[in-house]
Amino acid sequence: MKENTIALALLSALLVTPAAAQNGDAKAELARLKPGDFPTAPIEYTVVYPAGGGMDVTARLLAKYVEKWSDHRIIVNNRTGGAGMVGHAYLATQAKPDGYTVGIIANLMWGDAMLRAQGRWTYTDLEPIGYLNSDALTWIGPTEGPYKDMSVKQLVETAKDKPGTLRVATVPGSMWDYLIEQVEANTGAKVLRVPFQGGGAGINALAGGNVDIAQGFYSEFRGLADAGKVRPIGVAASERLSFLKDTPTMNEALGGLGGNEYQWFVIRFAVVPKGTPEDRKAYLGAAIRAAMKDPELVAEYLKAGVYFDPKLTDAARMQANLNAYVEAERAFYVKTGRLK
Amino acid sequence: MEAVGGLLTGFGIILTLDNLFFCFLGSLIGTLVGVLPGVGPLAALALLLPITFTMTPVGGMVMLASIFYGAMYGGSTTSILLNIPGEAASVVTCLDGHQMAKQGRAGAALGIAAIGSFVAGTLGVIVMTFFAPTIAAVAIRFGPPENFALMVLGIVCTLFMITGSPVKGALMVALGFLTAAVGIDVVNGRERFTFGSIDLSAGIELLAVVIGLFGVTEVLNNVERVVKSTLVAERIRGLWPTLADWKASWRPMLRGSGLGFVLGLVPGGGPVTASFMSYALEKRLSAHPDGFGKGAIEGVAGPESANNAAVAGSIIPVLSLGIPSNAVTALLLGALVIHGVQPGPLFITQRPDLFWGIVASMYVGNVLLLLLNLPLVGLWVQFLRIPYRVLFPVVLLLSIVGVYSANKNVFDLWVMLGFGVAGYVLSKLKYDLAPFVIAFVLAPLLEQSLRQSLAMSPDGAMIFIQRPGTALMLVSSALLVALMVRRKPKGGSR
Repeated sequence: MKENTIALALLSALLVTPAAAQNGDAKAELARLKPGDFPTAPIEYTVVYPAGGGMDVTARLLAKYVEKWSDHRIIVNNRTGGAGMVGHAYLATQAKPDGYTVGIIANLMWGDAMLRAQGRWTYTDLEPIGYLNSDALTWIGPTEGPYKDMSVKQLVETAKDKPGTLRVATVPGSMWDYLIEQVEANTGAKVLRVPFQGGGAGINALAGGNVDIAQGFYSEFRGLADAGKVRPIGVAASERLSFLKDTPTMNEALGGLGGNEYQWFVIRFAVVPKGTPEDRKAYLGAAIRAAMKDPELVAEYLKAGVYFDPKLTDAARMQANLNAYVEAERAFYVKTGRLK
Repeated sequence: MEAVGGLLTGFGIILTLDNLFFCFLGSLIGTLVGVLPGVGPLAALALLLPITFTMTPVGGMVMLASIFYGAMYGGSTTSILLNIPGEAASVVTCLDGHQMAKQGRAGAALGIAAIGSFVAGTLGVIVMTFFAPTIAAVAIRFGPPENFALMVLGIVCTLFMITGSPVKGALMVALGFLTAAVGIDVVNGRERFTFGSIDLSAGIELLAVVIGLFGVTEVLNNVERVVKSTLVAERIRGLWPTLADWKASWRPMLRGSGLGFVLGLVPGGGPVTASFMSYALEKRLSAHPDGFGKGAIEGVAGPESANNAAVAGSIIPVLSLGIPSNAVTALLLGALVIHGVQPGPLFITQRPDLFWGIVASMYVGNVLLLLLNLPLVGLWVQFLRIPYRVLFPVVLLLSIVGVYSANKNVFDLWVMLGFGVAGYVLSKLKYDLAPFVIAFVLAPLLEQSLRQSLAMSPDGAMIFIQRPGTALMLVSSALLVALMVRRKPKGGSR
């Protein structure tokens, strides 16, 4: 709890102080950008995952503050199915580009576009208008049994010495799988991949002793970690997370074994379908930025256990940096033969 | 004694005017959502989630939870009266509940359903009060191999559900498995049987299947009989369960409560699985299994208790571990997170007000629901007098709204229509629809737990023998099958 408070204070200071001064101007700025004929009806925020999940919580909190700053009604709608596939396809191919549909999505959309869309749509059909927050994939280990004191390096070495014994929870066809694949390819370790339908189910299995390592986001395992039922052992990010200061990055911990490209995270951002009029797009983006400068929203997001990627919080460079992430992901797919 | 103190604190919190009001409001909405065909608790909770942001965490959670279990009370209503399930957990209630209604005993069926719900809901919350952390600690050990064995047991039980031709029944089970295989492969993440369709990549939606097979089929079946103006002959015998009904029902209620509670705890389990398994169990244990499907009150009492107990069971892992076992409880977890509360093993000690407030509200909510539902029995029964040319278009419209509201995907409506027509044809050809649905529900869980077990085992299939719980359940399943094979079907099959 204490670390959380410090992290919250630190990040709030970092993000909010310079922004706080601008808050007074946010309404004026929004009024200036508002197109004459828009919006005349509620704006729909489409979430492609079920209500109650991390994505949904992000969208609903955002909607609350966008309503506060823009005085427009926002409706959050969950269009679910196929692990986001149905909603992504809806946004890219069916939603009208009239500014009334905004997608609150994650970078998982890129993988869908590159590997599963089969040419029916691509990620450039959805244009980013604002960055929201991020979650880094973290490896967590047990607090009982033979592996209870092992570091991520020791665990990986175990999987190298005794291949096919260490049980690692994964979510098929996603970054959970890719991270394991990278570790195996770089270190020569071999683990038993146990498939689950989501990160949370795998963490549950770890707490119950049915797997030895699980992967998930801070918000998912925080409760169990605070109670000492599981422990974070490695973060797949370029830097340590402020609320997990004692947990090394995978790059730090596994550096000696080869490989330093362990970076897998969820980036949550808002998009509009391609073809949305520029003035409406600018206005929708400004409304989201105004909400994101509200210290209360930042505090609520931090309480939910997410972090803010400094490369993306800078609105001017967001698009370029998102593109860099897309390219890194594409390079991985090409390297592993998933994409030509 | 800690629990008693906690519970008293909880009642202190819940017995305030506004929290009582939210509990009542949730119960009322839940009942309504249950009654409306197609509109299920998940859609209702998602819709009402934003409203709870402005409430206190206790008020919001009390309301959401009461909608969830309230829906289990209401769900049986249309199953019994119209042969159309109010939501997926009430499908089996159609089988005997509607037959009872046809015999003029709709009141007894509705009454037993409400009382069974109350008994199970209350027993569930009593167990929750005293043993929540202990149960959660045991439930979390329940891994893929145990889950697999449980699902095998479930599939074996469903074989007892088959009425009429065993070959036709087995064929429907197989079809259920096959239909469930459409979508994304749970292990390698690839698409199966989707033929390049984005909509099929999501798999086939259970709600659309159920409302199609039972709702649309029933409407089509009734359209044939234009001459009769109302559903049920004018005679409506007695609104209340008789002494004989009670004698027949109390054991199924208790068994349903126990079974439902356990299935609520299991990952992927919940009210739907619980209601089906309870029906199969009651039929297996019954002295007169031939009476099932012809208005046996046990076939209403068991499943209607089981789905309520499953709600209590499935709330435990969310509150005491922060782990949801199904989509509805995942939503409850999200609601807590939005309120800045992170459930986990420390939740009970860190937020006793919330935990005990919710537990206390479940006692209150179940009483409120019983008081709400029993007087409604008389009203619901009057619905049978509405000419069906008025009633069925309304029911059909509500079904469409309900199915669409779950995923906001028009494709689901086509699925509903398709299964409606298929159900009509199949029922003409005397194929049972219930075994199809139960196989469709269990198949993904069965497949996933089997493949997970094999993936986590260094010794392959040996894992099923190495774990005692798993081995025990698998042996029981084998014995049940052996019994079934040995016992010659009495009087042959129809």
